[in-house]
Amino acid sequence: MMKLFDDHTVLLRGYVWCRQISVLTHKELFQLFRDTLLLFFVFYAFTGNIYLAGSGISLQLNKAATVVHDDDNSLASRELMHRFRPPYFHLHGEIANTKEGIRLLDLGEEMILLDIPPRFQESMLKGELTGVQMQVDTTNSVLGTLAAGYGEQIVGRFGLDSGLARMGLSPESLNAVPNLREEHRILFNPNQDNSWFMTITELLNMITLFAIMLPAAAMAREKEKGTIEQLLVSPLTPFQIMISKVLATMIVILVGTMLSLFGVLQFIFHVPMRGSLPLLFAVTVLYIFTTTGIGLFIATITRNLAQVGLLTLMIFAPMVFLSGAWTPPEALIWWIRLLMKLSPLHYFLDVGLGILLKGGGLMALWEPILGMTIIGGVVFTFGLWRFRRQFD
Amino acid sequence: MNIKRIIAVVNKERKEIVRDKLFFSLAFILPVMLMILFGYGLSFDVENIPFAIIDRDHTNLSRDYAYHFISSRYFDFKGYSPDERELDPLLAENRLRAFIIIPEHFQKDIMHNRQASIQTIIDGTYPSRADITRGYVSAINNAFSMELLCGYLSRLKGIPVEQARAILQPVRLEVRFLYNQSVKSIWSVAPKLLMAILLMTPPFLTALGVVREKESGSILNIYASTLSRSEFLIGKLMPYVAISVFNGFVLFLMARFLYGAPFKGDLLFFAMVTVLYVICTTGIGLVVSTFARTQIAAIIVTSILTIVPAALYSGVLIPISSLSKGAQIEAHLMPAMYYTNIVLGSFLKGTGITVLWMDVVVLAVYAFILFTTGYLLFTKRPRT
Repeated sequence: MMKLFDDHTVLLRGYVWCRQISVLTHKELFQLFRDTLLLFFVFYAFTGNIYLAGSGISLQLNKAATVVHDDDNSLASRELMHRFRPPYFHLHGEIANTKEGIRLLDLGEEMILLDIPPRFQESMLKGELTGVQMQVDTTNSVLGTLAAGYGEQIVGRFGLDSGLARMGLSPESLNAVPNLREEHRILFNPNQDNSWFMTITELLNMITLFAIMLPAAAMAREKEKGTIEQLLVSPLTPFQIMISKVLATMIVILVGTMLSLFGVLQFIFHVPMRGSLPLLFAVTVLYIFTTTGIGLFIATITRNLAQVGLLTLMIFAPMVFLSGAWTPPEALIWWIRLLMKLSPLHYFLDVGLGILLKGGGLMALWEPILGMTIIGGVVFTFGLWRFRRQFD
Repeated sequence: MNIKRIIAVVNKERKEIVRDKLFFSLAFILPVMLMILFGYGLSFDVENIPFAIIDRDHTNLSRDYAYHFISSRYFDFKGYSPDERELDPLLAENRLRAFIIIPEHFQKDIMHNRQASIQTIIDGTYPSRADITRGYVSAINNAFSMELLCGYLSRLKGIPVEQARAILQPVRLEVRFLYNQSVKSIWSVAPKLLMAILLMTPPFLTALGVVREKESGSILNIYASTLSRSEFLIGKLMPYVAISVFNGFVLFLMARFLYGAPFKGDLLFFAMVTVLYVICTTGIGLVVSTFARTQIAAIIVTSILTIVPAALYSGVLIPISSLSKGAQIEAHLMPAMYYTNIVLGSFLKGTGITVLWMDVVVLAVYAFILFTTGYLLFTKRPRT
């Protein structure tokens, strides 16, 4: 009889414990929903913001503004310059002298200046080596490098065609001479649609931003207003106070994620969803859960929201830049690479792109998922530990 | 307007900022830390691309061809593989970014004067990375192809290889990289980081400073005082502008000496425009603060209004001319783009006021509009 009674109290306690958390979570959600401006911008962050990131942003060479200074005015020079055409280049016309071209580059109005020397055609016909100069604005080094690469291909091909023509061979005769033909196959995103990549990374960034900021801000606000005292004298444990903030954050972010995933990514940009969506959501829940640990840690060392704001920016911005979205890890120096390995977003990005674009499952992605779990687990445990300690 | 009262507000704000030690130190640490991390972490160079080769030919020529890739510093050779099916998962797991397939009869085809086709499979998840990888592969393929053609032509016509090369490659492209001769990313990125960081931090500091008073209720003291709106706003914002101008100076020194970016323009002109730009971005914070009631809202609104444009529409990642039409309009609406022109002009191109005056005017107009809006929206008689 006694035993049964004990079981009953355990059950009852468990029930009360869960009720307490659910009531607290409700309170957190109410607080968020009453701040209309905040709510509006959370909505904007997951919709309009992602739309903007996905439309019209590209790190590919796209109609690079090109001008030509043609000192030869021959058939050959005109043929060469007209090979600089879209999608990579866009010929804006000829200019009278090089100085004018440099001025346009200085102003940032043109990106490339092509300089064809006098006697260009003549030298070619005589079989003398001649050079064409290309001045590239490399203030963006990726585009500069790409432009130089494509330019070399165009000029190389032009030279080859005219060389073959003079040997009495047509360009088609390349089939009958020893050379290489290239075939490129781009996997996972065959049309090189940049919006796929941009929208996915932006969505993951937003998830990270809110997972860090919302719990930290909610906590700091309680401290600033003094309502934390009320919570502490209530029959609630620090763990309950904390977990309800995490749950409220999770709910808001998951709703935002779904809105973004189906409303923007799929509906507007037709981002393929090749992998398993339940897996994606499971990983997202895990990620949010562990990342809120960072927020809780921030909450323990800050006293007001201004501090929360700065600390969030200080942690969030490096996480985004070191996620590997903008820079391939292979090209970076070792200590940055090490930092990247410590950023949970780096793993989350691999998983997110892996599931959506590459159609990877648990088998292919277990490594980043494990990395994310370990780092997130450590962060969350640390946040929890700090959080509990501050009430002692 | 009374100077004395403004000074009083400045002093109050200064003391408040300095006494919050964490906030005060973060206000200076944050920009420096961002500068260091982005400077080293935002290298766009694509190097050491992990790749594999499937050699179905196993001949001297195919090994010779493969060696062109293996010895390139752009590629990091991970090994030969017998089968495509083995490599596809590696691509999906991010262990490889590309692989190259050398077909059967590769050597035989070449020896019998036939064209051989080389297949390259590239991971397209990161579009710009895929583009650059493809460019590198093509460059190596073209060079190899040219060697074969020259050899063939010299055998066919009985002329030296050099002469054959002159026939087939009559035009050479001499590329000159302007503004950044060695195409080291860090050079061109560092000055732009100055712009991005000065867009991100001042609005944050300002919006939080003003909204904090609203949320804690201390703004009621201001409402009830004899301070006029403009006196309050000027006094309130001055310390934040001062902090950001100081940060701008530190960032300038870092760009110049830590990253070795050249500075070819006029220092005085640049300093003055930087102050103007900081006033502009502080004004963004002011406008946000007039309609945000809570600090959480202020944090989120400023981070979304500034970080995204700082990265996407300011010309840091892509030149404005390559943006789509809608994004271009967006870019022209942000102050960042105009300041980017000035930063790049002053650092890398050595242009001055004669070329850049238009950008300065736009920034000034921008600052004026922001402050007028802030002034009009800020009211001492809040509707509740």
